[in-house]
Amino acid sequence: MKILRPISIVLIIIILAYLPQVIEKDSTINLLILVFLYISLASSWNILGGYTGQTSLGHAAFFGLGALAARMLWIQGFPILPSILAGGLLAVAFALLIGAPAFRLKGVYFVIGTLALAQILSVTVSNLFPTITSIPVEDLVAYQLAPRYYLFLGLACFIVGAAYLLANSRLGLGMMAVREEEDAAESLGISALRHKLLALGFSAFFTGLAGGAFAYYHVSYYYQMPFTPIWSLDMLTMVYIGGQGTILGPIVGAVFFVGLKEFLVRNLGEYHLIVFGVLFILVVLFLPGGIISVWNKIQNALARRSISNAVKLSPEEER
Amino acid sequence: MVEAVVQNLVFGILLGALYGLAAVGIAMVFGVTKLLNVAHGELLMFGGYASFWLFKLLDLDPFLSLPLTIIFLLLIGAVLYQLLFVRMVKMPEEEKIKNTMLVGFGLTLILSNTALLLWTADDRSITTSYSGAAFTILGIRFPYVRVAGLVISLICLFALQQFLRRTYTGKAIRATVEDWEAASAVGIDVHKVYLLSFLIGTALAGVAGAMVSVSFTIEPAMGMHWTLKSLIVMVLGGVGNFMGTFVGGILLGATESATAFFISGNYRQVVGLVLFLLILIFRPQGLFGAKGGKQ
Amino acid sequence: MLKVNDINAFYGDLQALWGISLQVDEGELVALIGPNGAGKTTTLKVITGLLKLATGSIEFLDNDISKATAHKIVEMGISQVPEGGRVFAGMSVLENLELGAFVPEARPFKDESLERVYKIFPRLEERQSQLAGTLSGGERQMLAIGRALMTKPKLLILDEPSFGLAPILVQQMFEMIEEINKQGVTVLLVEQNVRAACELAQRAYVIENGQIVGEGQGDDLLSFEAIRSAYLGEKG
Repeated sequence: MKILRPISIVLIIIILAYLPQVIEKDSTINLLILVFLYISLASSWNILGGYTGQTSLGHAAFFGLGALAARMLWIQGFPILPSILAGGLLAVAFALLIGAPAFRLKGVYFVIGTLALAQILSVTVSNLFPTITSIPVEDLVAYQLAPRYYLFLGLACFIVGAAYLLANSRLGLGMMAVREEEDAAESLGISALRHKLLALGFSAFFTGLAGGAFAYYHVSYYYQMPFTPIWSLDMLTMVYIGGQGTILGPIVGAVFFVGLKEFLVRNLGEYHLIVFGVLFILVVLFLPGGIISVWNKIQNALARRSISNAVKLSPEEER
Repeated sequence: MVEAVVQNLVFGILLGALYGLAAVGIAMVFGVTKLLNVAHGELLMFGGYASFWLFKLLDLDPFLSLPLTIIFLLLIGAVLYQLLFVRMVKMPEEEKIKNTMLVGFGLTLILSNTALLLWTADDRSITTSYSGAAFTILGIRFPYVRVAGLVISLICLFALQQFLRRTYTGKAIRATVEDWEAASAVGIDVHKVYLLSFLIGTALAGVAGAMVSVSFTIEPAMGMHWTLKSLIVMVLGGVGNFMGTFVGGILLGATESATAFFISGNYRQVVGLVLFLLILIFRPQGLFGAKGGKQ
Repeated sequence: MLKVNDINAFYGDLQALWGISLQVDEGELVALIGPNGAGKTTTLKVITGLLKLATGSIEFLDNDISKATAHKIVEMGISQVPEGGRVFAGMSVLENLELGAFVPEARPFKDESLERVYKIFPRLEERQSQLAGTLSGGERQMLAIGRALMTKPKLLILDEPSFGLAPILVQQMFEMIEEINKQGVTVLLVEQNVRAACELAQRAYVIENGQIVGEGQGDDLLSFEAIRSAYLGEKG
C-alpha cells in the first residue's frame, strides 16, 4: 500500500504536465500558474512558520527581493534560470542579515517586527524604484505561457519535495523540537538560533525563487508590488487554513485559497472578500489544525474502526 | 526658516496626539487581555465614518457628536468581543497570539470591505465652518480642529488615568493585570474586566477616528496604516504606561514630520518603522516602560 | 457548611483527584494536610471554582456550587488566600485591602472590615501607602490574609500560609489564624507543616496522591498511621 503514495504523486505531476497540451483557455492556465505559485509560497513559508514555529509576516521581503534581482538581470539579457537563482540568493542574503537580530524578538513582537522590516524594505524600494517594469516590446512578442507554466510547476514540485526532505531530516526534527519546546530543545544540545536561522535561510531562498518566477511571468508591474504585505498575509493564511507544520497542509491551503477566492469572486463579486473573511475566521476558531486536521480526524476514526473490527474485543475491553 | 521648522514640528505633534490616543487604545486591550487586536485600525476607521455621517446626515458637529460616536463604537466592540475575542482570552500563550492575529486579519478584511461597499473608496473629510481657521502664535499656525484633537486626546487620557487610579472598577482592572487568579480570589469577575478593557480600547479608537475625520481624511483602507502606527507607538512608549504611550505618539508624529521636512516625504513612513525595530531590539520595554514589564 | 462529595478532577487528560470527600462545619478549623504534590492546592482550586470538577459535587450552605464561577463563589462567602499570598504587588497595601471588599456583599462594610484587619495586623496600618511588592514575605502573607478577611468570608481557606516564613513568624501566623477562627470565621487550612496544623485544627484530613487517606481529630492524627506513611513512606 505504501507504494501507492509515490505512484499517485508521479501520476498527478504527469497529468499536470500534460495539461497545457489539452487546455485551450489561457485563463485556466493562468489560474493553474497562480495555484502553483501559491503552493510554492505556502510551502516555503511553512518551513519557518510551520516546522519551526516562527510566525513571520515579513516574507514579502524575500518574494520581492527575488523578483527584483531576477527581473533586473533578466531584462538586461541574462538567461532566466540563473536570474531566478540570483533572486533566491539575494533573498537568503537579506534573510541572514536580519535573522540574528530578528530572532531576539519573541512571540507577538517577532511577528510585528518582521512586518515592520518588510515594510521598511517595501517603502524603500518604492522610493528607489518608483516605476513600472515592463518587458520590452520585442520580447513581448516572444512571450509564451507554456514555459512559464512548466517553470511554476517545476518550482512547486521542487519546493514541496525539498520541504518533504527537510521535514524528514534530522535538521527538520530539530526545527520541530525548537517549535515545541525551545528551552527543552536547547538543553538537549539543539541550538535554537541555528535551527531558526537555517529554517529562515531555506524559507527565504525558496520564497526568493518564487519571486524570480513571478518576475519571469508578469509582463508589467510596479517594482514595489511583490513587496506589499498582502503577500506575507496570504502565505500565513494559506498555511493556517491548510494545516501548518505538515507537507500537504500548505498545498491544500493554497489550492483552497485560490479556488475559494476564484469561486467567490465569480459568484459574489464585490462581497467576496467579506465572505472570505468570515470563512477564514470560522476556520481559525473551529478548525485550529486547518483543513488537514479534519482529514486526519477522519482517517483516525476510520483506522480505529478497522482495528476494532479486525481484533474482536470484548465489550469491556473496547475503549 | 526657523518658523518653518517650528511649524512643521507643531503639525507633527498635533498628528502625534492622535497616534498616541489610538495607541493607548490598543495598549489598553493588550495590557489587560494580552490580545493584540490587529483590527484596531478598522475600529478607528469606523469611528471616523460614524462621525462623518452624523455630520453629513444630521448636521451634528463632530465634537458634539462624540458621545454618539463612542456609543456606536461600544456596540460594535461589544459584539466583536462576545463573538470572537472572548473565545481567545483563556487560550495558552502561543495559540492565543496566533489565533488573535488570524482572527484580527479576517476581521480586517470584513470590516474594511464592508466600509468599502457601504461608502465607496472616496476620501472623506468633515469640513465645518471653522475647519480652516487657526490661531497664530508668533507666526506659527495652530489649526483649531487639530488643537481640539490634542485637547480631546489629553482629556481622554486624563479620564482614563483617573478611572484606573481612583475608581473601584479601575482598580479591579489593575488588579487583574497584576494577577488574574488573585483577582478572581477577591471576587473580581475577570471576564467582565476583559470585556470592559476591550470596550475602553474600542472607544478610544473611535474617538481617534472621529478626530482624524475632522482634521484629516478617512477612507476604508486606512485601517491597516493606523493599526501599524498604534503598534509602533505602543512599543515605543512601553506597554502599561499610558502617559508614556501618548508621549511616544507625539514623538513619532514629530519625528515623521521632521523626516519629511529634512529628508524626504517618501521616507516619512520608514522612520517610524526603523525606530520601532530599534526599540524592539535594544529597549523592548519601550522608552517609558519598566524593565521586565513587557508582555 | 462546606460539603465536598466524591469529586474527581483532571488537568487535561491527567487525573489529579480521585473521589475526594470532606466536610467543614460552621465555626470549625479544619486542616487538610499532605505532602507536596498530594493534591491539596488542586482540591482548593476545585472548591474555589478555578478548576472544573469532572464528577461529584460541592455544597456550600446547602447550595450546589459545583459549577459556580470563581468570583461568584467569593460572593457566596468563600474566600481563599492562595499559596504565596499573591498580593497585587504594584498596588499599595491599602488598595489591596480595599480590593478585598470588592464584592457587593462586602463593600458596605469596607471601613469596619478595614478597622478589624488593622486590629489583627497593626503592621499593615503602618504600611498602608507602601507598595505591596516592597513588603517582606511575612507582611505580604499578612496582607493576603487581611485582604481575604475584607471579603467578609463565611469560610476562609488558607493555602500554606506558613510557607517560606521564618519559624517565629510561623508561630505568629498560626496564632493569628486561631484568633480569626475564634472571632467566628470558619477556616479550612491547607498545610505541609503537619505538627502546627494538627495542633491548631479541631479536625484534619490527610490527602495523598489525590485521595483522602485519613481523617480524625487534631491531636490524634499526630500519631495517625496515614500521616506517617504519607510523609515517611513507612507502615506503622
